[in-house]
Amino acid sequence: MSGSRAQAIVRWTARTVLRATVVLWASATLVFFITRLVPGDPAEAALGGPGSQASEEALDAVRQRYGFDQPLIVQYGIAMLALLRLDLGTSYALRQPVVQILADTVPGTATLAVLALLLAWAMALALTLSHTRSSRAGAAIGDTVEIVASAVPHFWLATILIAVFSTALAWFPPVSTGTPAGLVLPVVTLAVPIAGFLAHVMRGSLDEALSAPFATSAVARGETATGLRFRHALRHAALPALGLSAWAFGYLIGGAVVVETIFARPGLGRSLLQAVTVRDVPVVTGVVLVSALVYVILTVVTDALTRIIDPRIGIVTR
Amino acid sequence: MRSRPRRSLIPVAAVAASALVLSACAGDSEPTATGPTTGGTLVYASGDAEPTCLDPHVGGNYPQALLATQFLESLVSRDAEGEIVPWLAESWTVSDDALTWEFTLADGVEFTDGTPFDAEAVKVNVEHLQDPATQSSTGYLAVEKVASVEAVDDLTARFTLSEPDSALLESLSQPWLAIESPAGIARGMEENCESPVGTGPFVVDSWAKQDRVTLTRNDDYSSPPADALHDGPAYLDGIEWRFIPDSASRYAALQAGEVQVIDNVQPDVLVQAEGSDSLVELDAPRPGSSNRIELNSGKAPFDDVAVREAFIRSVNVDDAVSSLFQGTAERSFSPLASVEPAAYSDDSLFGYDLDEANTLLDEAGWSEKDSDGVRTKDGERLTLAFPVSTNQSIPAEVSLFEQLQAGAKDAGFDVQLDLLDLASWYAALGANDYDLVSAPYTKVGPDVLRILYHSDGIVPAPSGYFANHAQVDDTAVDALLDEASATLDEADRAALYEEAQADVLEGYYILPLYDQQNHFLLSTSVHDARALGTVSTPSFAAAWLS
Amino acid sequence: MTHTTSPAVDPLLAVPTPGRRWRRVTLGEVVAVVFAVSLVVASVAPGFLAPQNPAAVAPLDSFQPPSLAHPFGTDESGRDVYTRIVHGAGSSLLIGLAATGIGLATALLLALVAVFGGRFADAVVGRTVEVLFAFPALLSALLVILVLGPGPVAATVAVGLSTAPGYARIIRTSLLRVRASGYVESARLLGHSPARIVLRTILPNALSPLLALATLGVGQAVVWASSLSFLGLGAQPPAPEWGAMLASARVYLTTAWWLTVFPGLLILATTLATTTIGRSLDARSAGWGQSGPSGQSGQSGQSGRPS
Repeated sequence: MSGSRAQAIVRWTARTVLRATVVLWASATLVFFITRLVPGDPAEAALGGPGSQASEEALDAVRQRYGFDQPLIVQYGIAMLALLRLDLGTSYALRQPVVQILADTVPGTATLAVLALLLAWAMALALTLSHTRSSRAGAAIGDTVEIVASAVPHFWLATILIAVFSTALAWFPPVSTGTPAGLVLPVVTLAVPIAGFLAHVMRGSLDEALSAPFATSAVARGETATGLRFRHALRHAALPALGLSAWAFGYLIGGAVVVETIFARPGLGRSLLQAVTVRDVPVVTGVVLVSALVYVILTVVTDALTRIIDPRIGIVTR
Repeated sequence: MRSRPRRSLIPVAAVAASALVLSACAGDSEPTATGPTTGGTLVYASGDAEPTCLDPHVGGNYPQALLATQFLESLVSRDAEGEIVPWLAESWTVSDDALTWEFTLADGVEFTDGTPFDAEAVKVNVEHLQDPATQSSTGYLAVEKVASVEAVDDLTARFTLSEPDSALLESLSQPWLAIESPAGIARGMEENCESPVGTGPFVVDSWAKQDRVTLTRNDDYSSPPADALHDGPAYLDGIEWRFIPDSASRYAALQAGEVQVIDNVQPDVLVQAEGSDSLVELDAPRPGSSNRIELNSGKAPFDDVAVREAFIRSVNVDDAVSSLFQGTAERSFSPLASVEPAAYSDDSLFGYDLDEANTLLDEAGWSEKDSDGVRTKDGERLTLAFPVSTNQSIPAEVSLFEQLQAGAKDAGFDVQLDLLDLASWYAALGANDYDLVSAPYTKVGPDVLRILYHSDGIVPAPSGYFANHAQVDDTAVDALLDEASATLDEADRAALYEEAQADVLEGYYILPLYDQQNHFLLSTSVHDARALGTVSTPSFAAAWLS
Repeated sequence: MTHTTSPAVDPLLAVPTPGRRWRRVTLGEVVAVVFAVSLVVASVAPGFLAPQNPAAVAPLDSFQPPSLAHPFGTDESGRDVYTRIVHGAGSSLLIGLAATGIGLATALLLALVAVFGGRFADAVVGRTVEVLFAFPALLSALLVILVLGPGPVAATVAVGLSTAPGYARIIRTSLLRVRASGYVESARLLGHSPARIVLRTILPNALSPLLALATLGVGQAVVWASSLSFLGLGAQPPAPEWGAMLASARVYLTTAWWLTVFPGLLILATTLATTTIGRSLDARSAGWGQSGPSGQSGQSGQSGRPS
């Protein structure tokens, strides 16, 4: 038994790693070919776009340096080999290695995303526990809060939060300051919509779990309603929400573009927006690949966690 | 040979000059008797685009100038009255044929990397600007007529020109031609872009991309311009130069005390801040051109002067300016900024008169109207393409264009406003796909007229860029501008530029709006900040915090 | 790709909502439908709700706070904000609808190829969708804009394409269910051509559950598109598109709050309405099939995981 289980785990791991690698390679390929569709002379873009007064010699030098004069397939090969060496090229606009830009911006965004996800989980749990199977009025309020939370656009929420909590009440700074206080408004802005989504998902499965046979038998054994919620049902309810974490991360990255711009926080999102505006292809490629990487890792982790938490889906089953 | 003596520092005059710039502060109850105190870090929040390179020799735009003003210095400066004054050059002489200029440099000045400032450094800098590999644009154009620079001795630099250039001193005063350490330049473009080395009051300590540039005090600072408020090292320990692109966030940060200075202040915020006793405004219109709409006379329909006049008569600029700028911007009737002593205005040409516009269009053959109320001629609609760069125009200005669009509609013009990113905007100009465009040009002195209205400026440079967007092709204007460029006598030069400006205005090539807006808001805890008389960038060399 | 939950479209649909099939029409649903109907009216005949000209500038009436004459105030050019919001409903809604249409059409194509193109095609589409899932929605939208350049059309296409992978999974499951049902087999026995089977039998059965999904999608697409406009990459002022209005209004936040608040509320209300309607359609349609469009209640523990 234990031998076959170990084998199964090894097989699962090998398969997962292989699949993750394929997804990453395919993402890189896709991004490479999409960015080749960007109109305009890439050599000119590399020198700062039209208006940079680049001379023909300078353009030729850049074409050679980046291999723009090579056939597409050769360029692709060069790019993929460079990627293996973790060389993502040099930003056209910032004239810095993309890897360094990513190293500088990832921590800020990661802090934001992790805190926002934690807050979203806390808010979703609170909302779920307070409204599941409560009175009709309570459920209606819970419903409304969930939908409003999940529907509110980041940029509008951020604006209103700044107007209320910075300008009017002066509780929190309106721009990132490097202090914990400066994180409050951006984190709340990012967390609220996610919390709405998570709460809805959790509530659906909590409802389901509470009507499952094990809940009925637990109540028959004398378990209190509160105890039932915390000890048993929540565990089941948390599973689908956990499965959403990889998706939530993608949503957070999208939100970070808006939030980092409004709150003047350096980060992946702001770099990405800036890069798209000036068509800085290497930076866009780098940010997209990083988020694909994180997405893949999160998917694998949540998958593994789900299998560990939920005995119904063993690691062995397929 | 003419020569100008070095001016001595006159603190009283300098304070008076700065008072002209700093508008009245509502709560000016600070006891100035306490005097400057040393220490503290000033936080500046910039709404301008973050430079891609801190060395203003590379490219050469306004965001670079804003930062470079803090750590680089030029050979000469310009004071509040528009007079060129000594800076790193103590004095200068020019030969009778106006082809040889000799600059005597300040003695004992060192770059912050320890390299001595000398004539060789000046030579290296001019050559750096002229080297195509530097990719200089603004600075390159400004030293176009400099054939060579020679280090006669340590403190004498001789410029030899290919033709006379009455704008040489004005050009040299700009931050884009500031003098950098030759050793710094020798490190190569990549490194020099990160931390250019100059002689200024601050030093670039670090640059966290898309966040901030950290500047620290140069403790050995000794080379202020002749009109400086203070001549030793700065009082401030340093400056945190933050990039906060969102204007609402920028103002909120100022109100919250997170930052002490913001730029690119929106008109409604200025009006609101007027009532505040914790904020002071610094209004420093940029030199060079006024902010104006150029009418492309190079193709139909604006190749007809009557249609140009009709457009200009059909739009009510005054109402639009007063609704959107709420008294923070003054209407201009000149091709040049009001800070230019040579600026010439003629408001009689720009009165709003819809009837006159309609008459002109009828007479010009645009007498039919289609079902949308747009005039037609031989089946052609009177459509005007107006590409707008969001990098060049603040929101209030875009709203202004919308109002003008609505006004011109009444006369039968179909103005097509198109908001574009910078690359697409350049592309539209390069392809001659525009009838109207707004592209202010910042430069010290009236020589900007030559760049903007000389027919040479219609032919695109190899890169595709050209500055004569109105496509003024007038031999009389060309002759005036050429002559002015070779005339060193101030009065004669001014007269020539005046005539050229009158020709441009009377030809209805441009619709002047207002000066290039350049408003700063400062917390009242910041004292003795001022805008330089060159390109109006703020200097904190004498600033202190209370 | 063995199952289908697609949080990238909207996790609100990702789980079944058991125990709610008894639901009657709620007040919220009524309000949502009334609001949605007025939006449609505003799109088709804006003059009916707001007779004034949305582009009419009145420089001397700028920045008027809300009043009887201007219920939502006036903007920096003296234009009536209420009128602009009503006249902007069309373009905002059109962007949302077009983006959802693009997303669904792309997804349908992918899913048809996957389900009826043989094992190899299924594998290729499956992998492609899996890869696309690694690109968060706004990131793929930004990639599209990188290629097309900013603008309302680019933003619409961008939002549409970025939602396609999510829809593709759901449609695929739906198609598989229909294929497995008796309808297809009996149609084949009746001698119908493959094209006819797809058009007359499979699509109608597979697509009806999509109505709920599409309704939700429109609301989300309006938010995403307005976010792009806000970032300066979508519709541009003076277009009265809500996101663009908000973007230009934010500048005046401290002096004219009404310029920011009302367009924002309208975007929020639109999403609320579409979400409410979409959810109730979902709950109601759950009765007739085996389960709702997302239903695979037994496997909800694996939701969102590509496999």
